[in-house]
Amino acid sequence: MIDSYVLWAILGITLATFITRSGPHLLGARLRIPPAFDAALRFAPACALAAIIAPDLVFTGDTLNLTLENPRWVAGVAAAVIFATSRSMIATIVGGMAFFWLLKAWFVG
Amino acid sequence: MSESSVIGAAATSPREAFRHGVRDLLPAAPGVFAWGLVTGVAMVKSGLGVPESIVMSLVAYAGSAQLAALPLMATFAPIWLIVVTAVIVNLRFVVYSVMTRQHFAGLSMNRRLWLGYLVGDIMFARFSALLERQPDYPHRIAYYFGGASCNWMWWQVSSIIGILAATRIPVSWGLELAGTLTLIALLVPLCRQWPVLAGASVAAATSVLAHGLPLRLGLALGIALGVATAFVVERGREEA
Repeated sequence: MIDSYVLWAILGITLATFITRSGPHLLGARLRIPPAFDAALRFAPACALAAIIAPDLVFTGDTLNLTLENPRWVAGVAAAVIFATSRSMIATIVGGMAFFWLLKAWFVG
Repeated sequence: MSESSVIGAAATSPREAFRHGVRDLLPAAPGVFAWGLVTGVAMVKSGLGVPESIVMSLVAYAGSAQLAALPLMATFAPIWLIVVTAVIVNLRFVVYSVMTRQHFAGLSMNRRLWLGYLVGDIMFARFSALLERQPDYPHRIAYYFGGASCNWMWWQVSSIIGILAATRIPVSWGLELAGTLTLIALLVPLCRQWPVLAGASVAAATSVLAHGLPLRLGLALGIALGVATAFVVERGREEA
């Protein structure tokens, strides 16, 4: 049912998942990392989140768009404010999406 | 952020820690769901068949790498290129695994590999935030496993719904934004310290400026420069 090229491609992506997510655990204690580097990695979660979020908000396709024609960055700022004041993730998601749909209806039509 | 984390009630048994992990993931569930749904839709819309999409989702469990591989598959690119692309798109998971390895150190190889496979952006952020607040949290593996396995199941459910309902979910809804908003809610509380705020700002700016790079390398570059910035700022403050 599934042709062999697609099957191999799926196995390939699974291999990539394994290498990146489980590879360091495969090495375990043999993986020696300088303590300063280990300490710096404490900042990795925040940096990874920021680096994922920013392009999602400011690009429309491949063009940087910081006007109101692109309501996503406004919704993102609104979501950050909502979370900072409410500490509620649900309110952040619902409020941010509401902002997004309203702005979109208003400015993009 | 769930109330339980804020109060920081230490779990007294693995069972309780597992439930704590599930509870900490729940507020993010709508975001995970929207993201999985959109990924499922995108797989089918790019031309992959329904059974193929379901198998890929179940075993590969790598949203962005799956989406990056699809255009390559459509042109019958060599398998090695697909593997390399997926590895590069997922480079951040190497950092996550390097960070979690000290907590998994005492476990059997088998368990370490499975727990590593289950890592995702949201549960990793939750896990590191928990250990930052409570470095001696007991039963941390059960906590992680609770949240991460819950994330896996929820992602698969939403992704498969997306695959099956692909033709009925218009792209114009912009549902994928819900996933991004979830990450914003995870990022905001981390930015209360100056070094983190500086690092996150540099990571965000780099990732935007380097958006044109292939294989989402701008993301990896952003993380690297952001971590370096935060490290330097922290050192500077310690010396001042």
